[in-house]
Amino acid sequence: MLGQVEAADLVKEFRTFKRKEGLWGAVRDLFSREYTTLRAVDGISFQIEPGEMVGYIGPNGAGKSTSVKMLTGILVPTSGVVRANGHVPYRERMAYTQSIGVVFGQRTQLWWDIAVVESFRLLKRIYNVSDADYASRMARFDEILEINRYLNQPVRKLSLGERMRCDMAAALIHNPPLLFLDEPTIGLDLLAKENIRLFLKEVNRDYGTTVLLTTHDLSDIEELCKRLMIIDRGRILFDGPLDELKRLLWRQTQIKLELKDASQGAAMEQFSLPGVEKVRLDDVTYRLSFDREEQTSGDVIRHAVGVAEIRDIFIEPESIEQIVKRIYTGSTISELQRR
Amino acid sequence: MTASAVWPRGLGNLLEFSRIGFINVLAFRLRYYTGIVTYLINVTVYYFIWKALYATDPNFAAGFTFNEMVTYVSVGWVIRSVYFNNIDQNISQEVIEGKIALSLLKPVSIQAMQMGRALGEACFRLVMLTLPAGVVISLVFPVQGPASAAHFAFFLLSLAASILLTGALNFIVGTFAIRMKSILGLLRAKYFVFELLSGLLVPMTMFPAGAQKVLAWLPFQHVAYTPLRIYLGKLDGPELYQALAVQYVWVVALALFGAWFWDVMVRHVTIHGG
Repeated sequence: MLGQVEAADLVKEFRTFKRKEGLWGAVRDLFSREYTTLRAVDGISFQIEPGEMVGYIGPNGAGKSTSVKMLTGILVPTSGVVRANGHVPYRERMAYTQSIGVVFGQRTQLWWDIAVVESFRLLKRIYNVSDADYASRMARFDEILEINRYLNQPVRKLSLGERMRCDMAAALIHNPPLLFLDEPTIGLDLLAKENIRLFLKEVNRDYGTTVLLTTHDLSDIEELCKRLMIIDRGRILFDGPLDELKRLLWRQTQIKLELKDASQGAAMEQFSLPGVEKVRLDDVTYRLSFDREEQTSGDVIRHAVGVAEIRDIFIEPESIEQIVKRIYTGSTISELQRR
Repeated sequence: MTASAVWPRGLGNLLEFSRIGFINVLAFRLRYYTGIVTYLINVTVYYFIWKALYATDPNFAAGFTFNEMVTYVSVGWVIRSVYFNNIDQNISQEVIEGKIALSLLKPVSIQAMQMGRALGEACFRLVMLTLPAGVVISLVFPVQGPASAAHFAFFLLSLAASILLTGALNFIVGTFAIRMKSILGLLRAKYFVFELLSGLLVPMTMFPAGAQKVLAWLPFQHVAYTPLRIYLGKLDGPELYQALAVQYVWVVALALFGAWFWDVMVRHVTIHGG
């Protein structure tokens, strides 16, 4: 059984020509050019099942956008197989694009100078949406996104959050089974972000829409996606449940202690355990951080309770941001590969 | 999908894009009031140039009296305001800004999309620019009416072909942007070639005989020269039908070539970012 989206050994190389320096170099460039080949996507394979919401992350220049462009059919792969919704995206553009929705957070697909509703009318026509479907979907979109009040304004007069809501609705007007989102929450305030996430959850639940989401905001992924794919230097470093990533790579633990009162401070100063870094935050609060392979929370707590009277204990696992940051800087790649 | 299922829908798309093009320029209607003045100035300049040339020799341009020449230039500029379009610039800009990716993500033919938009804008200019400019210019200069009612009807049919022909040509020029990114030089070159070879600046009869023969095999002169000759009654009977047929054959041929050329070029699309 094939997935809804399938990539096998997908490769994309760009040939860019190296400009020689200076005026003489520019003249020489006219006659002979040196090309360098950049392998932006270096043999990635994965499969996405219907109804999945997958987070796709990676540092800038990792090959994320390039692979999404191949999946949406804008770029032709150098080699490898890509199939989605039963189509080869770059080969069957017309039929394929009818079955997908795409949202770019940085760019709008709505006509800039005309009222939003005109863009919607155009999209309705392009995607051949019936009047009844159009009306029911617009009503549904308005329930969460509350877009009806912006419909008669030109896009250029909308705030980023308002524009994003409209763009989200525009991408789903034809109820596509597959939705690509490229940084949909970039630059949005907390409320707008929450609104967009809520909307995506509902769409996924009610219509079974498959979603591939690229983002730099990991809270998007924690809120929306069970599965995470991490790409770097054109290769997929991790593909699996978010929880598994945390379990595998959770290395640092922090314990915050709140002392019974300020008088316990002196006692807490006595605390010392190998591998545990102690930071005094204020009179009654201390933070202990340690590598969970060297120490256990149990030992740390037992020791702390032994030296001072403690009111509260908060154990904080490493945040997903910290884990991903370590992956990006390359310090955990070996651990992922050992898996 | 069968062809019969695609066509009505394709046509509907075209109309919808035209509507968008129309509303889009509506947002900038002020621009067109200055447009009328620009066209008036252009015609004035040519009026005085021709006046000076005919003063030295009343038979200056073979086959055109002074009044015919004034009419040729005036009607030529007036219809330019409707057949003219920016498809090539639009595509080039979309490529530079990376917006072309968004267009490619829609299940529509980019050619139909651009053409529809251009037609909508043409309708807008017809009302806001062509008609008022026509009225103003014909009040200021001694412009002749069309040769006959029938000639005027054929002139309109021929003008429709000019609009489509310019659209098809500009689409091909714009398609180069996919590979070359910046086609500013190409756009400039096209502008001058177009003005000269379309017959807008001077009738084709003023080119050297050899050049005339070659140019007759190119599409450019069917943009302005052909409709203007029909307007002036210089084409009649079988000659007229043949000229119209040739115009429309060029439209179809260039539209088909454009569609094919676009497909080839799009394979090489490399949109910025990675």
